[in-house]
Amino acid sequence: MSQASKRTRVQRLADSVLPGRAVGGYANLIEARLRKLAATASTGMLPLSGHGDGAIFFRGGQVVYAESTRTPTPARRSVGLAALGLVATDAGPASNGAELVAVPSLDRLFGMLARTEPTIDAVTELLSSESRYAKFRPSDYPAAGQMSPLSIETVLAEVERRHQVLRQLAPVVTADSPVVRFAPRDPPSFQVSASQWTLLVRTGDGSTPRTLAMELGRSVFGTTIEVYRLLALGMLVVPGHAQAITSGQARATTGRGHVVHARPIRRRRRPCLETRPWPIRSARS
Amino acid sequence: MILPAADELLAPVMAIDGFRLACLIDGSTGMVLATREFRENRDGPALPTAAAGAADVINALTLLNGRLATGENLEDVMVTFSDSFFMVRPVGLDQQILLLVIADRQRTNLAMAHRSIRDFCASFTS
Repeated sequence: MSQASKRTRVQRLADSVLPGRAVGGYANLIEARLRKLAATASTGMLPLSGHGDGAIFFRGGQVVYAESTRTPTPARRSVGLAALGLVATDAGPASNGAELVAVPSLDRLFGMLARTEPTIDAVTELLSSESRYAKFRPSDYPAAGQMSPLSIETVLAEVERRHQVLRQLAPVVTADSPVVRFAPRDPPSFQVSASQWTLLVRTGDGSTPRTLAMELGRSVFGTTIEVYRLLALGMLVVPGHAQAITSGQARATTGRGHVVHARPIRRRRRPCLETRPWPIRSARS
Repeated sequence: MILPAADELLAPVMAIDGFRLACLIDGSTGMVLATREFRENRDGPALPTAAAGAADVINALTLLNGRLATGENLEDVMVTFSDSFFMVRPVGLDQQILLLVIADRQRTNLAMAHRSIRDFCASFTS
């Protein structure tokens, strides 16, 4: 008699009959569908639904654009990036990089990144285990000039990498974990980047990495990582996880066995967060 | 890679003696934007692993810098392995784009490589 459970046997059977299909999850099925669209050099739109709705757009078998209701749109991103001084507001139409090679420019590099990151971010969100795809619509595709074509294998490899990173971060923080600012009694000195400073200033009641990303027009994935870094610095806390994160950091850095107890910003605001310029350098009181 | 047309950008870095691999990395997400690899680097380090490692090193040092709060910025990182050098340098001041260069330790003049990488990063206008 076989030692494998019934579920395992069903899974093996499904895997052998339908390559790319896995029991209890549609992510592999969607990947197989995307690869087939790429192999047939399709042009059009593949609608997806799940936690959030969205679509992936193809042109000649390459992914040219994607959007999800759970990630910021490119228009919103460009406003946010421009506000941060990371990309020019008049970045112009998409280029193939020739101008960038001729005259290396950070603005142009950020411009290309700003056109690509929303697509990767949206596909990362759309290819979750809860997503399902609908019928492919060959007639629907976005206007030319706004997109950077990407091969499906490049996109899937990057999305898989991001899913792995998010799985590693999940015990501490997810894109939907509420975070609050930490107000210690004896604040140590910290130095944060402009990007982290912006997040700290915007963090309020009920903020999550996703809401912050939507508000600032930034990548949900990138914002989640940045929030994780602020958690590691002890400047933000996840309610319920505060002791575990901050006590370890405090012991490691002060070497005094001193534990800084986390306290949500709602009880006592730390006024310096809104007033001090970057970088933060607060002396020990 | 995400920006294949940007690969030509890395051509100057390929002139470094003992060059094995170079890539531009989005420091905020760890995504590889562009890459150039020496043609005989088949047995060398895997690009995604090297890029993820570089982003992690920068992340760890950024956290250290954040804790130290000395007001300084991270300029570059040089890691010496028994057979190779790993050199990571932010392109621009905000550390969003990172340059990773891997070079053969036996064939590389570290000072010259450092100079080439610094000049390459300085060639970017804002």
